[in-house]
Amino acid sequence: MLDVKQLSSGYQGNDVVHDVDFHVDTGEVVMIIGSNGAGKTTLFRTICGLLPASTAQVHFDGQEISGLPAEQVAQLGISFVPAERHLFPRMTVRENLILGAYPHKPDSETMSSVLELFPRLEERMRQHAGTMSGGEQQMLAVGRALMSKPRLLVLDEPSTGLAPLLAQAAYKALGLLRARGLTVLVAEQQVPLAMSISDRGYVLENGYIRLQGTTEELAANPGVRSAYLGVA
Amino acid sequence: MIANILDGIVFGLQLGLLATGLTLVYGLGGVLNMAYGQIAVVSAMVVAFAMDAGLPVLPAVVVGLIAGGLVGLLLDQTLLRPVYRLHEEPRVLLSLLLTLGLSFIIDGFLIWRYPLQALSLHIGGGAIDILGVPMRRGSLVASAITLMTFAGLFLFFRYTSLGLAIRSVIEDEEGARLVGITPQKMMRLILILSGVLAAVVAVTRSMVTPVDTTAGLSITVFALIVTVVGGLGSVAGAFFAGIILGIINVVAASYIGSYISLIILLAAAALTILIRPAGLLGVKE
Amino acid sequence: MSQQLTEKIDSSPIGANVAPSSRSLLSLLIPIALIGILLALVPLWLGDSRVMMGVAVLGLAFVCYAIGFNVIFGSTGQLFLCVGALAGIGGYGAAILADNVGLPIIVSILLATLAATVVGGVLSYVAVRRSLGVIFTGIVTLIFSMSFDTLLLGISDLTGGDTGRMIEAGRGTFLREQIPPYYVMLALVLIFLLVHGLLQRSYIGWAFRALRDNEVAAELAGIDVARYRVYGALVGAAMLGLAGSVYAMTEGRMSPTTFGFGEVDVVVLVMLAFGSIGNLFGPVLGAVTFTFVDELLIEFGQLRTIAYGVLVISLFLWMPNGLLSVLTSLWRRIRQK
Repeated sequence: MLDVKQLSSGYQGNDVVHDVDFHVDTGEVVMIIGSNGAGKTTLFRTICGLLPASTAQVHFDGQEISGLPAEQVAQLGISFVPAERHLFPRMTVRENLILGAYPHKPDSETMSSVLELFPRLEERMRQHAGTMSGGEQQMLAVGRALMSKPRLLVLDEPSTGLAPLLAQAAYKALGLLRARGLTVLVAEQQVPLAMSISDRGYVLENGYIRLQGTTEELAANPGVRSAYLGVA
Repeated sequence: MIANILDGIVFGLQLGLLATGLTLVYGLGGVLNMAYGQIAVVSAMVVAFAMDAGLPVLPAVVVGLIAGGLVGLLLDQTLLRPVYRLHEEPRVLLSLLLTLGLSFIIDGFLIWRYPLQALSLHIGGGAIDILGVPMRRGSLVASAITLMTFAGLFLFFRYTSLGLAIRSVIEDEEGARLVGITPQKMMRLILILSGVLAAVVAVTRSMVTPVDTTAGLSITVFALIVTVVGGLGSVAGAFFAGIILGIINVVAASYIGSYISLIILLAAAALTILIRPAGLLGVKE
Repeated sequence: MSQQLTEKIDSSPIGANVAPSSRSLLSLLIPIALIGILLALVPLWLGDSRVMMGVAVLGLAFVCYAIGFNVIFGSTGQLFLCVGALAGIGGYGAAILADNVGLPIIVSILLATLAATVVGGVLSYVAVRRSLGVIFTGIVTLIFSMSFDTLLLGISDLTGGDTGRMIEAGRGTFLREQIPPYYVMLALVLIFLLVHGLLQRSYIGWAFRALRDNEVAAELAGIDVARYRVYGALVGAAMLGLAGSVYAMTEGRMSPTTFGFGEVDVVVLVMLAFGSIGNLFGPVLGAVTFTFVDELLIEFGQLRTIAYGVLVISLFLWMPNGLLSVLTSLWRRIRQK
């Protein structure tokens, strides 16, 4: 579904991400893992059209999307949830969700399934997004992204700022989505969480893809184990 | 005293609607339109010409509203193109300078060609008593139209998906892009809307007092003051700031003097910037 | 010689006044002397016409205003849209002190200049304390401008309101003759250029450049950004007040339009855009060019306003770094051939 080739990108002429190749097939959950500063955010922002690439060939369902602005990428069926979430703080939960479906009117079926997934949101429909806790905001961000019935859900470090229990709950929800057949691409520092729902993964270090494989392969890899799983 | 307050409310409603146009454009696109007053004047002139050409009042006003919207669109498509390539402070600065230049061109042209032209809409009929004060029909009709426009805006931004989309760009531009909203398209719409609002204010003002070709600068200045006090980007702020400042202006003018009342308004804006730059209801950075 | 000239007139973007680390005093004095000599010759050409000399004196006054604004905005990045008002404090202040209070002319001018300096300093201090960005500083100073204008209209006993007032003091002295005022203003221009140039070469100038380029880095380097901003405003405001009061004394009359926003601030902005903001000699080039162009347009009435508008737009669209930088890059390209 998503095919990324030779992607290099960065800021003000300096590339932070170099020559990245990876792909995501329909129905898969793929993780990009790496530590802080590895370039995961830069990579995702480039793919999703928020950052111009130095070079890139990105194909989504066969269509070339590198160079398209973020709003067009979103309209093609990729929903991106950035680490900072970018919710609409003075708008209610309900309004945030409705906007997720833009330009379509929100589908009542989709709305119900999102609220089923995140019951807490239903309680707070009239609350302003900016006044909610971190965990609730994360739920809302994911919920909003789901309102457009995306073909691909891209998440940048969904565990950011969440207490461990909340992060696990978030990943449980993602697991449910995976079970429903959603294709997911997730970047994560907290590797065990990502591994709990992913089929395959890539290890990003200093802007380069260093390793790839199925989750089992990566989990067994001694380098990965010592660097990311805290195993000596 | 009551008469003053009522007059102040009439004036204030118009200030509020005026500021709404300016504040939306700033809140959404980071553009400070110093030619805003000129857009209002141009619209008023179009209405005047249409009426001179024989058009009855209502169609002439519609033509004027369309003219206002068109100028807004033109601004978006031409002068502001280079501004859109910048961001944050340089964008505001360049927009300020370029629109300032535009305001000179429009002012110069209008005062040169039509120095004596003014728009004045007479609403016939005697005065109507409100709270024991005889109010001119013109003022009442103007206020009614302004209130209805506000109501329309309120409904639009609350209940239509386009209105929500526009608000979302003001709230968080990146977030809006991520849900598939094109900020440039929204900006274009807002500029057209601000042009129409300027026209509405010009037309309603002409029901109270004539609007002439030299009014451009003072309209922009008043709009700026109310926008600053109300909060950049906040329509509700513009509304409330407009009414408050409108009342203050009329009351001060009648009790102290018109020069002092202008200084008071200016001081209010300065104090707002100094004490609470976000304004009454603006977004706190 | 031309080498020094090109090195000094650098083509840096608006505000980033990057200069070679060591410049000799000569590279400052020689161009100033040149300018002084060139401008001193003008009365030979225009000296017969009272009107033209008036225009020339006004032109020099604007050079002074532009230098003052250049110090405030170009050096420390504070958008003071109250150039006219500060000069007006000098002008009206000196008039009131000399005529109504009866102080000697020199004392009146000095006190009026002091008043303008204090006001400029207060404005800067407030802006700095409240961390107002460029836009808000601009709006606040614009508000001050308008308030000052309204005040002039309001206290018409002292100021003559809309019609303005005359200055009795100085009548019959050399200040009111046809040619001496020109040289008085020219002296001011040269002094201001010298002061600004010396400032640029001093530690203070280095601090200015640092805080313009990167405020955070400057703070980390130990520069009290707030304090230096206020210093810049004080110097600039002093220049404006002095120029305003001296000009008023030579003219003998003034009205709100002499120091109004539309008449002074806008014009100064255009001049500086013409001549490169931040650059030492920008104001001179800009003001001289503009005065010429303006004179050509004077008979066209409102068309002049339209021309101003077109000028502002074209300048800020195509030559945001000013005429000087366009010229220098042209010069560099020629030299490379």
